[in-house]
Amino acid sequence: MTLLTPFSKVPELNTATILLVEIEEQLQSKLADVIVHYENEFNVNVRLARKLPLPVENKESRPRIDLIVFIVNLLSERSLQSVESSLNHIHSDYFLGKVCFLVTDARCGSYTQDRLASVRKLAASHQCPVICAEHRTADGIHAAAARLLSILKMSAGMSPIPTTALYLSTLTRCSATSDLEED
Amino acid sequence: MDEQTIFVLRRIFKKIPSRNIEDLLKNWNCLTADQLRALDYTRPKWTLVENIISFCEERRLNMKHITNLEMINRIENPDNDTWHSCQLVEPQDDALFVELTQFKEQLKAYLEGVIRHISIKIKKHEDEALWIRIAWGDNFSKPNHLKPTYVVHHLHTSYVFICNLMAKHKILLYQALVVSTKHGSIKDAHLSNRSLTAMRTLLLRHYQQVFPNNHSMILDEGNTYASHPCIEKEHAPHEERRDQLASEAFGDSPTPKLETAVYRLETRYRGNGKTTLSDKEELFRGVVKFSSTSLLHSLRHCVASGMVEGPVTPLLSAITQKGRNYFVITDKGPGVSS
Amino acid sequence: MAELSNPIGLAPDQSGEADSTVSSASNRSLRLAEKEKKKSEADPFGLAVKYLSRVEAGTVVRGNDELERSLVVVETVALSNGLHPDVIRMLLDMALSLNAGTANCTRVLKFLIPATVVPQEAIVRGVSWLCVGKMPMNAQVFFVRWVLTVFDLIDCKDHLRSIYGFIFSFVTEENLCPFICHLLYLLTMREHVHPYRVRKLLDIQAKMGRQPFLTQLLALYKVFRPDLVTVSVPSRVRTGFKNYNAPWKVSLSAVQRKNKGAVLDEQSLSLDVKEKPLSRKRKLHHLEIPPLSSVFDSNSKGKVFGLQELRSFKQLLENIDNIELPAQMGSLLGSALSLHYLDCVQDESAFLRLNFWLGHSLQEEFLLCPVDGSSDNTSEACRFLSTILSSQQFLQESFSSTESFLYKFLSVWDGCLLRPQILDLLSDIPLMPSFYMRKLLFEPLKQLYFTSTVFFKCSVIECLNNMLVKWLTWHSVSVVKGGLDISLNSNSTMAMSLSGFMDSVMELVRFVGLLASEGLRLENCHVLLLNQTLAFYETVCDMFLKFSLPLIIMLPAGVFYPALFATESVSVDRLGYIMYRYRKNLTLAKRQEKQREQTFHISRNTYKEFNRNLQAMVNSMWNSSWCLPGSDLEIDKDLIALSKVAEPWCRFDLIHHPALFSYAIEFHQKAISLVTSSSYSPPSLVFAQGYNELLLDTQLDVTSQYHVEDHLTMLSLTLQAVHLLSFCCENTLDERMLHFALQTSLSVLTRESHRPLHIVGTRT
Repeated sequence: MTLLTPFSKVPELNTATILLVEIEEQLQSKLADVIVHYENEFNVNVRLARKLPLPVENKESRPRIDLIVFIVNLLSERSLQSVESSLNHIHSDYFLGKVCFLVTDARCGSYTQDRLASVRKLAASHQCPVICAEHRTADGIHAAAARLLSILKMSAGMSPIPTTALYLSTLTRCSATSDLEED
Repeated sequence: MDEQTIFVLRRIFKKIPSRNIEDLLKNWNCLTADQLRALDYTRPKWTLVENIISFCEERRLNMKHITNLEMINRIENPDNDTWHSCQLVEPQDDALFVELTQFKEQLKAYLEGVIRHISIKIKKHEDEALWIRIAWGDNFSKPNHLKPTYVVHHLHTSYVFICNLMAKHKILLYQALVVSTKHGSIKDAHLSNRSLTAMRTLLLRHYQQVFPNNHSMILDEGNTYASHPCIEKEHAPHEERRDQLASEAFGDSPTPKLETAVYRLETRYRGNGKTTLSDKEELFRGVVKFSSTSLLHSLRHCVASGMVEGPVTPLLSAITQKGRNYFVITDKGPGVSS
Repeated sequence: MAELSNPIGLAPDQSGEADSTVSSASNRSLRLAEKEKKKSEADPFGLAVKYLSRVEAGTVVRGNDELERSLVVVETVALSNGLHPDVIRMLLDMALSLNAGTANCTRVLKFLIPATVVPQEAIVRGVSWLCVGKMPMNAQVFFVRWVLTVFDLIDCKDHLRSIYGFIFSFVTEENLCPFICHLLYLLTMREHVHPYRVRKLLDIQAKMGRQPFLTQLLALYKVFRPDLVTVSVPSRVRTGFKNYNAPWKVSLSAVQRKNKGAVLDEQSLSLDVKEKPLSRKRKLHHLEIPPLSSVFDSNSKGKVFGLQELRSFKQLLENIDNIELPAQMGSLLGSALSLHYLDCVQDESAFLRLNFWLGHSLQEEFLLCPVDGSSDNTSEACRFLSTILSSQQFLQESFSSTESFLYKFLSVWDGCLLRPQILDLLSDIPLMPSFYMRKLLFEPLKQLYFTSTVFFKCSVIECLNNMLVKWLTWHSVSVVKGGLDISLNSNSTMAMSLSGFMDSVMELVRFVGLLASEGLRLENCHVLLLNQTLAFYETVCDMFLKFSLPLIIMLPAGVFYPALFATESVSVDRLGYIMYRYRKNLTLAKRQEKQREQTFHISRNTYKEFNRNLQAMVNSMWNSSWCLPGSDLEIDKDLIALSKVAEPWCRFDLIHHPALFSYAIEFHQKAISLVTSSSYSPPSLVFAQGYNELLLDTQLDVTSQYHVEDHLTMLSLTLQAVHLLSFCCENTLDERMLHFALQTSLSVLTRESHRPLHIVGTRT
């Protein structure tokens, strides 16, 4: 089994790479398009994948990946399952602030709430942040892209302030207890 | 106009939605312009129909006109009933030279020779299709215009589409078709569907087909997202391969609008090797039915989006390649047989 | 076919009759008789109606040509022009009594198209025929379907409501149940909801399963009496009632269209303005405030006043005791008068109903219904939230349903959708125990905050500042009222002790401290963020003096030092003001503590912290030594040496502070034109003060004789003097401190006057 490791490659100068993983390939291309057209202080490469592990053929050409984003569509059970299985293919170093979950359709009927809860649990056990996105509107995609970029900036070490991805993740990571029912 | 005619007319209008009535009457061309103008289409349908009937009475229309009305409606809305397809085989040497008038005469002569009371009406549609309406009677009763059989045939092709045919008339019609098209015999093509258009495109190969191709890489880059130098698809080769597979199996979109596919199983449980799991000799029988508003599109999407992995099973690809949607899977193996 | 062409000529005749006989039913028959005499042969419709009204039980139906002919005549008129209310009453009676046979019953119902309105008496009579139980089931169903179709045309419904119980009894009929439920749904008012009816419905539900019509009716009951219906109504009732108007739809709408002009005209003349009752069918996926409408019909009210009838505040005051709440509580949000009423009404149920409606709408139509990309969907939600917001601001408290909605929404928010509205609503949240606050508010907000843009961060800090101000205002108001126990919300049961309140405030301030110091670090001390943060601390530093909350919390180092070393003067100025206010608060607290044994106690640590901050400030600005050992800020000397900045310790003193630099340059530019030639004379402290005043009064148009360099010095000083000097001079906290500060400032002043300034060097 080939694990994806964060520190096995030398980073390129002034470049950060983000990997978007989505089994259904609905949102990722739109998101990628917005991300690369966003005004950044550094170059951003986007890699799109359906699932992990990534194909071995690309191993040499693939740059160091600074942030892995798992896109979970709450309307589909398959999406969540695929993410769960993909998580096994990344090195534990990634969980020090270089993995994040992007959830779509979070407010779409009550049955997605259960799935959202399990995503949160998954994220909390891996100490990753969960981001909700309104992927149906252009504004929503734009906002999601901006948030991903701000995480990427930290995880790729592009921030001028001496801070680390690990430190940021202590502030942004999901806590599983947030599903508290109190009305 | 006798009772029977009025009754048939009522029944015809019963099946037609009121919004279609206006256009239909215009196409029919049997009522005068004044009469058409006098009709109020905002009234409830039944009063409207009564008005039309009274006009028909004034014009002294007969059953022929009425059946013509029905045919016009049927040709305009062919997708309201289930159609079955048949295939003509063993063409004779002069099968390609059959002319329209000859075909008409032969068919009529044959059927009228067998059954005394029968009403046959043949109409040539704009797209070269022959529409045949047959109201069956028998030697003692008049033709039943309430349940006519419709047959659609394109001359010089080997497929016939039939709708609403009773079992007892089947042999008669088949024989008549064989004789009049100068073929040796006719057999069931195992394709039935509500949409006649889809069946015709599927069987008469009007849709674009993609053939297996090893040089799939030269496919033009229709993907605008991948064009940005900073975006790289990890699974790009796989994606292209999937698209290729999907196109091979189900053609390029838009696919014909097929609604169902039925697989009748007559198989045995098998473990590893050749041993059957149950000792009984009896077959496992079952029916698997796929249905969707557009089945081929759904299947294509399944393959193209990678929801099903690996090559497309011949069971599914046979739908387009063989042009049928009814299969019997026997114990012999995974092959498809009827 | 012959009949069809004939009645067209008759049509105007009939409608003319309908117009003339609108006044009363009694003289109608008279007129009819008159009319009959006049043109007995020429009026087949009148004859037919007359004949039909005489049909009695036992009339032969089969082969009765006259009956058939009359029916056909009436039918054609009905379908083309509609029927007069009296004719409807008569025909309905005849049909339902089955005098003309069962087959004709449905037939008559089918063409019972009202020209104007349907008299409610006819319906009541119809229901009574229903109770007789002679009618076959399909006729019964057909009748109820007809009633549902013409429901909006029934002239007035109070009698119909008074036989609610009779109608209700039909829910047990399995075939009738869906239609009866719909009818009840349209008729139900608050007083109709009784425990036994709820029980009955639940019984039926147990028997028939969760049918949508039952659920819908129960949901309505729950709206009226949430205390009676304890079962949870499923959150998503997709299909409520179907439309049963198919047999009549086309002809009814045609007749209505035809008669519309006439109807409006007639109504406005005879019955003064009477609005068409609004159907209570709810549109799904729509967030809108329903219009005000009473459950009573305007002509059936006794003493009670509908809120929609109020026109002025005076009227409200006069009728405040007998005001009837509207049918839909949501409509209250739309009008200011209703909000006034809501503000002073003591009825708990009003808030209960409003909250139920609001919670339901927000949950169903917004939380669980994603935007499909259309902009009007979002703008609708935006309008809705803005309305809630303005109502809340009017009432000066938040609805508990918006509160619980916000907690749910925060966890799925993308930080962008409807941001201004959501944050404004958030700032209205009342105080709650710190434990819940952490879980429901801070946790999701923190995750959003640290992954979002700097502008989002600013708006979050602003929102929390507003929240804090509102909490403190509540507190100060309740302290004035007396008593330490504060019930925060007039209609909430949650009362909180002072220590609980302080805990929550402390938690909030601590939370903002974390957000601000980390946020400033991540955003590289963004100016906007720094200023929002300082605005927040301007509120915090004055909690004791302004809001009489005995709590003083110092600002964290993560905010203090960025502000102290900021490159823009606004931030430094604000920091000076904040320190000054802190000092005011602390001295007052100390004095009170000394005077009488107060119950509260501000910890020594707070004083120490303040003194340390003040010391750091004075050290860096006066003493030109900002990294003293033992202070918060301690940097290795060698490390600083690496930067090769000359005299690094005085880079942030008053003279060289980059924040004040722009003023210096500005002054320099203006002064250089003014000062042409000047003799050198060192300024004294006295002069400095005088110059200070001069600068404040006049805007530099002074014919100064002094050296440009000194102007710069003086200017830097004056800008800070307002704040710094004032608290330095009044500082009685620490005598040593005051002495120290005065000493240093004097020494600086005297020293600086003899020294040329290195303007260029400061920026390196």
